[in-house]
Amino acid sequence: MKRTQWSVAIAAVAVLALAGCAGNSADPGASDSDEAITLTYWDFIDPSQDTPRSQALKQNIENFESENPNITVQVEVVSFGDMLARLPQAAAAGTLPDVVKMYNPLVPQLADAGVYQSLGEKAAAIDDWLLPIDSLVDGAGEQIAVPYEYRSCALVYNGKILSDLGLEVPQTWDEVVTTASATAVAGFGGFGTGFSKEDNSSIIAELFDCFMTQVGQEPTNSEGEAVFATKRAEPFGDFLTDLRDADALSSSVVADQYTAVTDGLSNGTLAMGVIGTHRIITVQTLNPDVTWAPLPGVEEGDHSTTTFGWTLGIGASTEHGDAAWKFIDYLTSSEAQSLMATGGEVPVRASTYDNEFFSTPEAETVLAIRDYLENWGQPRQYPIRWLAISNSLAEAAQAMNLDGTSGSQLLETAQDTANR
Amino acid sequence: MTSLTLSPLAKARFTHVQREYRRVWVYVIPVTIVFAVVFIGPLAVTIWTALHRTDYFEVKEFAGLTAFVDLFSDEDLLSQVGTTLAFACGALVVALPLGLLSAIVLNNITRFTRLVRSLFLLPWLMSQATAGTIWLWFLNPNYGPATAFARSLGLGSTDTFSNPTSALIAVTLITAWWSYPQAMLLFLGALQTVPVELKDSLKVDGGNAWQGFTNVTLPYLRNSIVSVVVVLLMLYVQMVTIILVTTRGGPLIATETLAVRVFNQTFQDYDLAGASATALLLFAINILLTLVAIRFRRKESL
Repeated sequence: MKRTQWSVAIAAVAVLALAGCAGNSADPGASDSDEAITLTYWDFIDPSQDTPRSQALKQNIENFESENPNITVQVEVVSFGDMLARLPQAAAAGTLPDVVKMYNPLVPQLADAGVYQSLGEKAAAIDDWLLPIDSLVDGAGEQIAVPYEYRSCALVYNGKILSDLGLEVPQTWDEVVTTASATAVAGFGGFGTGFSKEDNSSIIAELFDCFMTQVGQEPTNSEGEAVFATKRAEPFGDFLTDLRDADALSSSVVADQYTAVTDGLSNGTLAMGVIGTHRIITVQTLNPDVTWAPLPGVEEGDHSTTTFGWTLGIGASTEHGDAAWKFIDYLTSSEAQSLMATGGEVPVRASTYDNEFFSTPEAETVLAIRDYLENWGQPRQYPIRWLAISNSLAEAAQAMNLDGTSGSQLLETAQDTANR
Repeated sequence: MTSLTLSPLAKARFTHVQREYRRVWVYVIPVTIVFAVVFIGPLAVTIWTALHRTDYFEVKEFAGLTAFVDLFSDEDLLSQVGTTLAFACGALVVALPLGLLSAIVLNNITRFTRLVRSLFLLPWLMSQATAGTIWLWFLNPNYGPATAFARSLGLGSTDTFSNPTSALIAVTLITAWWSYPQAMLLFLGALQTVPVELKDSLKVDGGNAWQGFTNVTLPYLRNSIVSVVVVLLMLYVQMVTIILVTTRGGPLIATETLAVRVFNQTFQDYDLAGASATALLLFAINILLTLVAIRFRRKESL
């Protein structure tokens, strides 16, 4: 009897051990040609949801699978924050998804963590990218990702609030302060932004990113050291302190995130804010009074901005590089990108705009954003530690608001924290 | 030298004892394996990691005490230790009496017991993330019910998480609210062991409810209180989720406890060696607090 018990125990341990060893070896040695392949793909968009972007993704995956019957795409819905935490872990463990979707300011950091494999000449074969893709390279200059959609910063404002108060759409940052102050006096939220680190400080980081392009200041030097506390960058710090001094910021700005601004614009309590162009259609759907304008300038007439957006790359540990590229190639194709555009995303390839969707009124906003990006947008070569810069900016902005520090102090504190 | 000869009965007893001893190992070995896997192993890996340079999640070459030198020379460390203690003690001061009071209420009511018990347990049944999100919504300065209520009273909006002091108070209270049912359950079990005869005799002698509580109930609960203090302190010192969901350690690191620092170092700074060093400091603080509490318990038992 005892012998039987021990045998069962040993067998159980052996089964567990074998199960552990078996781990991740699905499709071992499967070639990318005709054998059945399952591609894992991480996206923050859940294709089972009912939003236009979710539906477009779902349709694109279905279309790809019917064109490639041997390939199944397994979507894993992972939030942006979780991706940042999990991708470096997966890189260390060799369990990366086959196709990686990532926000381009964070691509260099994840490349440094060993998340990507080189795309080689695959991306270079496509010659109609709307904007240059040479910023999506790793430290060795290898192409590691391609754009999936474009976006930038824009001044999004409530046209009704401004016209009711007899205010013009601001053209410069100084005018933004004056206009926001006037709307705050009238009982509305003045200028919407947020200094919370909750969502990786995304709204303040985006504003800083676009502002730096406008003033021509690189956030880091060639060694990756933060070097933005300069005279040239001072208008950024001054803009935030001017808003504070004019009581044009929300009283909860220290704890506000991106959603606080989009919610404020959607429900008509906020007069204006600088948000990503990809949010314009969603906000307009909820509040037709909301409209947008190119980014105000330090000088009138300058609307320079940074172009950023989500990208696609191949996971370093994939065994299905060819199939993964096939999927990326499909998602950036004219057919798939046109479908994405119905959800408000701006396609990245010139040929996509030949699709008949772009001659319909529904495409008006997407086309206007495309023109804005083509005229004023500049892609940035992001440093490896962009996340550290974003969070240090949020922390310094919190101090600026709570402790009353100056604009130049804001930049110095953020720079010191980022370099610490 | 004479050899020891045993009677058949003694022999049988000896063999039985030997068998019993062997059987003990059947229980000891699995426990030892589990203990090694879930405690000794991770602790050893943490120490190993803290003594090496790390590159994202890969452990590289031996670096000696560099991570500890960095930890103890960090100017934020002292404030984070202070925040950890303020947060843990603050939550304890609220949750302990709240848990005891709820347990006494539950122990004395005779009607709707299940309903009341469920209501009292409700916060603890939620995940920490849900609890944090609910309070974040409730206290939202733009559309939260708390703001609507404050405005109806002619007050301003509830900018709870925008100020370092109010943010720390808020996360402390939210944590106490979420965790008090745990104290309540432990107290409820202890209350049911208080002899009814003692309470009855106190009543016969003309004692009131307060005297019954201080002279009968409380002495019986003393050791339980120490146990609850240990359990809750450990929970609070290691609490991450509620703080992450509501403030992520801000504003101005006012709510960044050591546990949140470990999280931020791991997943935001990708500094695994630094996070391991902080985790070991946290572990030491936990041991210290537990030893203090255990010492109290022994004294009380004498």
